[in-house]
Amino acid sequence: MLTTAFFVKLLSVVLQYGILFLLLYFVYLLLKFMRQDISGMDNTVHRDTSLKEAVITIAEAEDKSMEGRRFAFTDALSIGRGDENDITLNDTYVSHHHAVITLVNNLYVIEDLHSVNHTYVNGQILEGSAYLQTGDLIRIGLVTFRFER
Amino acid sequence: MRNKSWLLMFFPMGILFLGIGTLILKKNLIGNSEFLPWVAAVVVSAFCLQVFLQRKRNLLAIWIFPLVIYFSSIGLVMIARLKPELFIPQLRWLLIGMAVFLLVVKYADRLQEFLSYQYILGLCCLILLCSPFLFGTEIGGSRNWIVFGPFQMQPSEFGKIFIVLFLAAYLSEHKNVLTLPSKRFVFLYLPPLRFIAPLLCIWGIAILMFVLQKDLGSALLFFGIAVFMTYMATGSRSYVFLALAFFIIGAVVSYFLFGHVRVRFAVWLNPWADPNGQAYQVVQSLFAFGTGGIWGTGFAHGHPFFIPEVHTDFIFSAIAEEFGLVGSMTIILAYFIFFYLGIRIAMNCKRDIHILLAAGCATIFFLQSFIIIAGVTKFLPMTGITLPFISYGGSSMVSSFILAGFLVALSKKENTGG
Repeated sequence: MLTTAFFVKLLSVVLQYGILFLLLYFVYLLLKFMRQDISGMDNTVHRDTSLKEAVITIAEAEDKSMEGRRFAFTDALSIGRGDENDITLNDTYVSHHHAVITLVNNLYVIEDLHSVNHTYVNGQILEGSAYLQTGDLIRIGLVTFRFER
Repeated sequence: MRNKSWLLMFFPMGILFLGIGTLILKKNLIGNSEFLPWVAAVVVSAFCLQVFLQRKRNLLAIWIFPLVIYFSSIGLVMIARLKPELFIPQLRWLLIGMAVFLLVVKYADRLQEFLSYQYILGLCCLILLCSPFLFGTEIGGSRNWIVFGPFQMQPSEFGKIFIVLFLAAYLSEHKNVLTLPSKRFVFLYLPPLRFIAPLLCIWGIAILMFVLQKDLGSALLFFGIAVFMTYMATGSRSYVFLALAFFIIGAVVSYFLFGHVRVRFAVWLNPWADPNGQAYQVVQSLFAFGTGGIWGTGFAHGHPFFIPEVHTDFIFSAIAEEFGLVGSMTIILAYFIFFYLGIRIAMNCKRDIHILLAAGCATIFFLQSFIIIAGVTKFLPMTGITLPFISYGGSSMVSSFILAGFLVALSKKENTGG
């Protein structure tokens, strides 16, 4: 009787330490496996941003010397009169923050930021935002841009 | 190493079997063997799922599922020990969770279409979060439950899925406007109000949740996830300062207006003022941590029953008592690994929305476990939310599995799609 009680106690102690051991060993093994897995992966991961690149070219401007200037960008581009924009147009018809072009779902979208004198895409007033395609003409103030990807 | 990932599944199963063995020796689970078929079902389906994930050659995802089952098995043995009558329901919830997980992983492509309807997602989230205001029931001090006959659910648990989806969709589309240089206010650069209105709305709801539902945990979680995801999307520190200011104002106002907020705060500052009354829970939890020491009292050999709600919110105290510092630190470490895996998955994604979604899922697990562990150790005022995958609770289990399913689906997408 005493021995059974002793063995039950012993078994219970072994089981308790067993749980603690499994708790620790799982995390150790997981870290070990993951380290080998991830170190192999890092060499292959690289990104390709060239696919995202877009260019806008000044097609028409009052100042003829500006015509033909190209602005290459990825992700986003802001246009306006304020100095903090990516393209600054010093023109009274241009609002401080006039328009912004952003990448949405792998396509570029132009958004008018409630400018006073509007943004024109292919001659039409831009209401809110619109997707851009290669060759689209964007007119802001007295400057016309051509969008290309 | 990838082919050996199924080996990891033996550890959670070992924990489960050793735990049940200890309880049988201690005669805690005596007299019913009804749970055996459920345990067998859980074991078989966990192995099958891991083999399925491994066959798909997902990059990082194959490490996620063993971790999830590891947490769940710890939760299962603790629940079998603390509330034997809830053991079978928890096994059942785990099975439902795994089924939902599989569905999310399989049909991720179709689920992705929902991401286009960002404002509908936002609206769903609002409805879920506001529904307890209207027809909520108070259970355990927080008015955040909805009862349909025999079935109860916690809408905020599902609200957190929608908030991650909404924030990922919203921020990835508007992040350029949000980072646009604009009005300067002292040293903060703030975008126009209409762009930050949804964020302000989430913060407002979080504070309402705290004040009306007395649900500090979920409030902190929602507030935190909005701040983290905005920062991750825009990289602008102005939002963090703005959120902090908003938080401090909200906290101060509610401190002076509402009694229960003052009580919470007082209990947090000095639980020893009233250890048998309002601070009873926290004080007992601290005693449990102290009793556990470094190696713990041994599974099923502690006395965690002094702590009210020990099987849900305070399960970590029971773990700390019975597995000691070593066991509880291991679990915290495992949550860190989970977070790390989530962030790795996010970094491997290519589209902004996927990056944000994966990072959001990882962050929500991290925040949730941080808030509750900080609560039971009195690092933060006590909050009532569940420890993901470990605490007892159907809503929490299912919603955590859905979020884990998103992580696995996202890692797969980027791997095969290129």
